[in-house]
Amino acid sequence: MTDRRQRFLGLLSTEGKADQGQRMSRICALCVAELVVSGAGATVLSETRDGAGTGPHRALVHASNEVSAGLEDLQLTVGEGPCLDAFAQGGPVLIPDLAAAIGRWPAFGPAAAELGVAAVFSFPLQVGVVRLGSLDFYRDQPGPLSRTQVTDALILADLATYAVIDQLDGHAASDLSWLADSHIEVHQAVGMVKVQLGITSDAALLRIRAYAYAHEVTLALVASQVVARTLRFRPEEDSA
Amino acid sequence: MSTTPDQRLARTFVTLADTLVADFDVLDFLALLAERTVEHLSVDAAGVILSDQRGGWRPAAGSSERADLVELFAAQAREGPCLDCVASGKPVTCADLRADTAQARWPGFSPAALGSGFRAASAVPMRLREQTIGALTLLNQEPIELDADTVAVGQALADVATIGILHQRAAARGELLAEQLEATLQQRTVIEQAKGVLAEALSLDMHDAFSRLREYAHDRKRRLSDVAHELADGTLDPADITVEHH
Repeated sequence: MTDRRQRFLGLLSTEGKADQGQRMSRICALCVAELVVSGAGATVLSETRDGAGTGPHRALVHASNEVSAGLEDLQLTVGEGPCLDAFAQGGPVLIPDLAAAIGRWPAFGPAAAELGVAAVFSFPLQVGVVRLGSLDFYRDQPGPLSRTQVTDALILADLATYAVIDQLDGHAASDLSWLADSHIEVHQAVGMVKVQLGITSDAALLRIRAYAYAHEVTLALVASQVVARTLRFRPEEDSA
Repeated sequence: MSTTPDQRLARTFVTLADTLVADFDVLDFLALLAERTVEHLSVDAAGVILSDQRGGWRPAAGSSERADLVELFAAQAREGPCLDCVASGKPVTCADLRADTAQARWPGFSPAALGSGFRAASAVPMRLREQTIGALTLLNQEPIELDADTVAVGQALADVATIGILHQRAAARGELLAEQLEATLQQRTVIEQAKGVLAEALSLDMHDAFSRLREYAHDRKRRLSDVAHELADGTLDPADITVEHH
């Protein structure tokens, strides 16, 4: 299945140097083409919380069509829906038949049905507690995602997650493997750097990435040094 | 009063079943299951790996959070009895990793396991209908041929682990499994972040950080994942993670 990831990466990289908006739009278009869904949309939390944990969370919406755009807006407006539940449970929320699940979201459900949505699938873009956005698909006819489609959707959500993080720290990372592979030290290092600098986990992840980028080493190597306590981040000096 | 191994095993299954209440924590449950596996099967370490649904496998829980052991479980997801087990859907046992056949079969995993002090490794599949969703790994410090009874008990424990993954909601929907597996691995990421917070704030190694986290959650009758989440997102101060001694 690594082949699938490579294939999607190949399809996305043909776009050349694209900004995040274009990349997310490309990912949404790819979702529509690959997953047999009627539309795809993404909400990106464009700023992570600052050190005090109170920074603004601006949401940017990318969507492959009007209905998907409406669906993204709807969740933000009514403050409920599969996307928010996806964050709460820390995994995707797959609703192959919205009509049968309408009671779960008294405000979102009927309004989504009104838009012509019969099935909805939400994949959170997140790294542990670091929330970056969501990738959502809908179908105008009820029906489940196949197992292969779930696999593809998870991989595309990974790629969307990379795209958001790249945008947040302003450069593309060369090592794309750390999210999907089991690099638990990266996650442990996020927690350690969070404490070392007294910042949020979001900011800690970006700091570690910035350090790796500036020193031209892999994220995994920086993380292993942090966990081994041979590398400490200090508040006074900007390690990046 | 002395008890027989069978009675103790029966009690473990009752304990595990009792744990499967409405809002139980799946990673806490899997950690307990791994610990009990070590106890009942006379193995030295046990771990659970799960499908990441992208074609890969990731460690979810172990009988210890010792760094080298966690690393070994992660390595198992790339090569070794565990991977062979999930590929075939059948138990895989290796009595001696030092044997030429084992070295040839798993050129990466065998030296890694030996380096961590393990001589024997086995894995039993976690199956749901026709799908293999993970495996329970068993490691021994001494070379040992696991007998059929031991493998059967291991399989029963792996089946309980599968039930744990599908916790709290009816398993009627096919989507449930995909949701639960991904949520479980995402929770694991949160736990790693929280371990980092505790390790740094309280100067602990990763194993002790996890133990402290878990003891705190148990003491306060809170879900492990909730406590981990609060530590990692900063709503809970690591200095507050003190454990009451009774």
